[in-house]
Amino acid sequence: MSDVSADSLAEIYRTTYRALVRFLYRKVWDAERAEDLAQEAFARAVVHKPENARGWLFIVAANMARDEARRAARERRHLTLLTAESQDGTATSDEVFQEEQERVQVRAALEQLTPRDREVLLLWDSGLSYSEIAAHTGLAPGAVGTTLARARRRLVEAHEAGEKGEHVARG
Amino acid sequence: MSHVDDGTLHAYLDGELSPPEVQSVEAHVAQCPACRTRLEEERALIARAGELLAHATPPDRELPPFRPGDVKPPVRLWWKVRTPVAWAATIALALGIGTYVGDRGAPRLEPTAPERPTIIADQLARPAPAPDSAFAAQRQRVAERRKRVSKPAASPAVGGAIEEKSRQAPPVTADGFLASKAAAPAPARPEMVRLGTYADAMKGPPIGVDSARLLLGTDPLVVPDLQIRGMYRGRLLGYSAMVIVEQALDSTTVIEVLNGRPSRLQLGEVVVTGAGEARRDTQSPGARALLNTRAVDSLAAASRPAPTPVADEEKAKHAALGLFVDVRGPLPPDSLAALRRLLRPLRP
Repeated sequence: MSDVSADSLAEIYRTTYRALVRFLYRKVWDAERAEDLAQEAFARAVVHKPENARGWLFIVAANMARDEARRAARERRHLTLLTAESQDGTATSDEVFQEEQERVQVRAALEQLTPRDREVLLLWDSGLSYSEIAAHTGLAPGAVGTTLARARRRLVEAHEAGEKGEHVARG
Repeated sequence: MSHVDDGTLHAYLDGELSPPEVQSVEAHVAQCPACRTRLEEERALIARAGELLAHATPPDRELPPFRPGDVKPPVRLWWKVRTPVAWAATIALALGIGTYVGDRGAPRLEPTAPERPTIIADQLARPAPAPDSAFAAQRQRVAERRKRVSKPAASPAVGGAIEEKSRQAPPVTADGFLASKAAAPAPARPEMVRLGTYADAMKGPPIGVDSARLLLGTDPLVVPDLQIRGMYRGRLLGYSAMVIVEQALDSTTVIEVLNGRPSRLQLGEVVVTGAGEARRDTQSPGARALLNTRAVDSLAAASRPAPTPVADEEKAKHAALGLFVDVRGPLPPDSLAALRRLLRPLRP
């Protein structure tokens, strides 16, 4: 069908870039890395000219983030205590610290979702429609709402549980 | 009529139902108080989930310009790069750790090795591969060629990607306010404390420069004017916080600058330096300890040059920040020492 021109890709870039960075950030948890990966996804889109560029970008981004996570997992074995003690003795403004704490808690809650639930939730939050999410994940279109309902509930519950038991060991 | 299930309620609230479906949901909710309550509950749930996700958002940056011709080649991952110096680095690691463990606490930063050429100077002095504009033009050409053959080539030209990354660094916030937070005073018998050496530092997940500052309480030290490839959390016994900054000397040589904040429990001030390969996660701590001990034995009689005044100054300066810093990478110790002397706080 119709080729993706540079113009329409530029438009997609304008409307989707930030959402893609946000999507990636919630997978790699490093803002600069997320931006690098988003840039690379767009660079690949320029080369491949995919038909549905927006959906394609998120699939490519998800794959890149997965490769990244595999590498990180290999190096994480010895680091399980790091998050818990890392803030020790480091004074910083309360606001920044609170924000960082909140981020850590949301991240921990997100990581308790099943991969599929998390993916659907992150894709929805990135602005993809149910049909785009269905195409991305292989879910039946009718199942997206159910998955999203479950993902949202689990996120909120996991976050509440995390707030109550802040010192519970991470999984 | 049967109740509306959760999935349908969410699809309704997300505006993802077709008009007939919307009608049927609204008709049911209008005459079913239970579903009306659930609808409001799900609405609140959706709002709360959105709120939580908003906390997990990267800092808002300006949209970088979109240049269709600006296609970055796939970046060669440095940990997959096998350079001929890897073996040399392994040997240097063994010698290095042993030597420094041998007299920790002594104010010596590194041995001089006059028979070995200092290669670092010319690496630093070498100009960038190509001026920006020429480089961009070259990439443009590459991109066009790729379009024609519609098959990506794999020419590694890492420079551009990294340059861009280092430019993206966000503005500095507070620094130096921790300058007064020097390390805890060092009591006697530091040799009783089994601290990890810097070469043992484990590399953790990638972090951003903001997180690095937050962890250290100050700017991480870096080698100025070298491309920063990334920052990682590090982990090492005796340090409450560690940030590892990866910097590229050239397209195949990457060094790591380790910035450590000693934990309060540390009993002796230790600056341990050593060259090493970046990945050593195959060795158990026991094996490392053994290696260290052997190296100490074999090097016990080796001549130990006196400390240079420069090294002392540098050490004092970094200690004043409350940080202990080292550089590791596949380079001879004297080159690493030269890099160590160049370290400055990161202030983009």
